[in-house]
Amino acid sequence: MTAERSRPAGRFGPPPPAPQGDALTDLLRQVRLGIEGGLDPMAAAQRAAGDFPHAVTGTMERLLRRLRGDYREDRWGFDEDFAEAVFPLFEFLYEVWWRVDAEGVRNVPADGRALLVANHAGSVFPFDASMMTVALMKQHPLPRWPRFMVLDWAFTLPFVSAFMRRVGGVPANPHNARALLEADELVTLFPEGVKGTGKPFSERYRLRRFGRGGFAEVALRTGAPIVPVAVVGSEEIYPKLAEAPGIARAIGAPFVPITPTFPLLGPLGLVPLPSKWRIEFGEPIDPSGLPPGAADDRSAVFDLSERVRETIQASLYRNLVKRGSAFL
Amino acid sequence: MAPGRRIAITGISTHWGAELARALERDPRVDYIAGIDTEPPDADLERTDFIEADIRSPRLARLLPVTEADTVVHCGILWYPQPGKPVRALHDINVIGTLQLLAACERTPTLERVVVRSSAAIYGCEGASPLLFTEDLARRLPLRTRFQRDVSELEGYFDNFARRHPDVSCCTLRHQPEIAAGLDAPIVRYLGLPVVPTQLGYDPRLQFMHADDATAALAAAVGSEVRGPVNVAPDGAISLSRILRLARRPTIPVPHSLFGPAVERFGGPLGAGPLLAAAVRLLRFGRGVDNTRMRRELGFEPRYDAVAAVRDLIAKADSRRLGPRLHPASWLGRAAGIGA
Repeated sequence: MTAERSRPAGRFGPPPPAPQGDALTDLLRQVRLGIEGGLDPMAAAQRAAGDFPHAVTGTMERLLRRLRGDYREDRWGFDEDFAEAVFPLFEFLYEVWWRVDAEGVRNVPADGRALLVANHAGSVFPFDASMMTVALMKQHPLPRWPRFMVLDWAFTLPFVSAFMRRVGGVPANPHNARALLEADELVTLFPEGVKGTGKPFSERYRLRRFGRGGFAEVALRTGAPIVPVAVVGSEEIYPKLAEAPGIARAIGAPFVPITPTFPLLGPLGLVPLPSKWRIEFGEPIDPSGLPPGAADDRSAVFDLSERVRETIQASLYRNLVKRGSAFL
Repeated sequence: MAPGRRIAITGISTHWGAELARALERDPRVDYIAGIDTEPPDADLERTDFIEADIRSPRLARLLPVTEADTVVHCGILWYPQPGKPVRALHDINVIGTLQLLAACERTPTLERVVVRSSAAIYGCEGASPLLFTEDLARRLPLRTRFQRDVSELEGYFDNFARRHPDVSCCTLRHQPEIAAGLDAPIVRYLGLPVVPTQLGYDPRLQFMHADDATAALAAAVGSEVRGPVNVAPDGAISLSRILRLARRPTIPVPHSLFGPAVERFGGPLGAGPLLAAAVRLLRFGRGVDNTRMRRELGFEPRYDAVAAVRDLIAKADSRRLGPRLHPASWLGRAAGIGA
C-alpha cells in the first residue's frame, strides 16, 4: 500500500523502531533521541523532521483504513478497532483515576463460553463493566473482549447506542445472552440491573434481588460456567443522595441521581469521584453438574441464582475490608 | 422437487416475481408457470402464462383453480410504492390482496404448497431488542409502522390457512431488505445518493441480502417441504457508517425526526424517492435476524454475506457514478500519496 521510502542514513545508524503512536509525540521523541545522541538541537530537529513523514504516513494510514471502511465488525456489531482506540481512556481510569486492584483474573476461562456475573453500581454509566474489561485485557494471560449487557434504555439514545454497540455492549435480554453464549463468547452481566445502580449511597454494597434469576436459567440452558465478580469502589464514584423523578420521567430515564457534585457543578459533576477500586474474580461455578431439566425447574434456577448472589456478597464484604479507606 | 410441477406466481411484474419465474423456467421439473398481476412483467419470460388480474378482486377465486396449480408463490406483497401502485394502495394490496388470494387457494383442490415472500419487518426495529431475531420472536415488540402491522396481519391469515389445511405445506419467508446494483428499491437509491443523510447519533446494524440470493432462496423454498416462517438473511451484519465508508459517500447527519422529510425533500430531485416509516426506523435502529433455519432446514447457503453484498453493490454501482468523489478518504489519500 505504502511506497517504500529510502530513509536518510544518519550518522548514528538507523534510529530505534518507532512505537505505535501519535506522529507529533514521535517527532518530539526523535528530537530528544537526536540530542541525547550528541547532535546539536537544530540538527536533531532537522533529522527528526526528515523522519516525520513516516510517522505521519503511519497515523494517516490507520485513519484512512478507518475512513475507507477497512475494518471488521462482528454480527453483534462489536468493532474491535474502535474498542482498541478508546481503550487508553479506560486504561487511564483503571490505572490512575481508580487505581484498580484486580484479583483472580485467571478464574475467567481462556476460551469457550462463560458468564461473568457482578454487582452493579455507579449510576447510569456502566463503568464497572468497562473496568472489568480492562482488568481482563491487561492481566489475563489470554485476553479476549467480553460482551456486556446494557440497560435497554441506553440503546434508544443517540451516540450512546452507537458507542455501546461498538465497544461490545448488547441490550440486556435473555435472547441476546443465550445467543452470545452459544457462540462461545464471554458475557458480562449485572443481574441487579437498575435496582443496583439506582440504590442510595446509604445502602452501598448491599446486593439487591437478582431479578427473576434469568441469568441462572441462561447458564443452565447453555451450560456456561458462572464467574462471580465482586466490584468494590464503584459505589463511591457517584454517591446518590436523592433522585429527581420528575426529570427522569420527562426524559424517559430509569432515574436521575442527585449527588454531592451533580447537578450542583453542572457537567463537571459528571466527573466520577476517584475512589479506590478492587475487583475480585471468583472461582467459576459450573452448572453442568445439575440435571438436564434444571433450566425449567424454578427452584433449581433460584438456588443457583441465590448461590451466586451469596458468593458475590461474601466477596464484597471481604474486599471492602481489604480495601480500607474508600478514596486513598 | 417432484417433476410435473404447476406453479402460480402472484406479483409477476415485481422484480421478485419475474426473477423467480425466470429461474423456474430453466427447471425441467416445472411443467407450467402462471404469472398473475395487473400489468405484464417488463422482463422477457419465455413460457410463463400471464394472467391479468388484480389480486384484490374476487375474480381471482375463479382464475386460480383453472391453472390447476399445485404451488402458489405469493410475491405480491409490496414493501414500497411502485409504478401504478401508490402508497395509499399498499395496505389494500398487501392485506386485502392476501385475503383474496387465500380465498382463491381454498377453491383450488390441486394445491399442495404455498410460499409467501414476506418481510422481516414483522419483527420491527427497536433500540433494545434481540440482536438476532429467531422465527419465534415475531410480534414480541410493539407494531409501530403501517407496514409492520400489515405484515403481521397477513402472516396471521396464512397461519390460519395453514392450520385449516394441514395437507397444504405453507412456508413464509421473512426477507431482510435486498440490495443489488440493478435493483430499483428505495434503499438502493438512498445508498446511491451523492451525499447521504443519516440520523444524528444513530448507527444501525444492518443485514442487506443480495438480490440474487433472495431470488435463489425463494426458488429453494418452492422446491422444499419446509413449513412455517423462515428468515432469509445473509450471514453477519454491517453498520450503516461502514457501508457509507466502503462506498466513499460523505454523510450529513440530521436529527432523526427530520430524516424522513429530508430524504423526501432533497433526495427526491436526485431520484431517491421517499422512505416509508418502516425504512426510516430500520435506518435508525437497524435489525438483525438469525438465519440458522434457512441454512439447516431450507438447505440454502447464501453466496454473499452482509459485507460482500454491500461490496458487490458498490463495485457495480461505482461504474455509473456521476460527479466527483467527495469522501474525505479519497482526497486525503491522494494528498498523502497513499492508497487509491
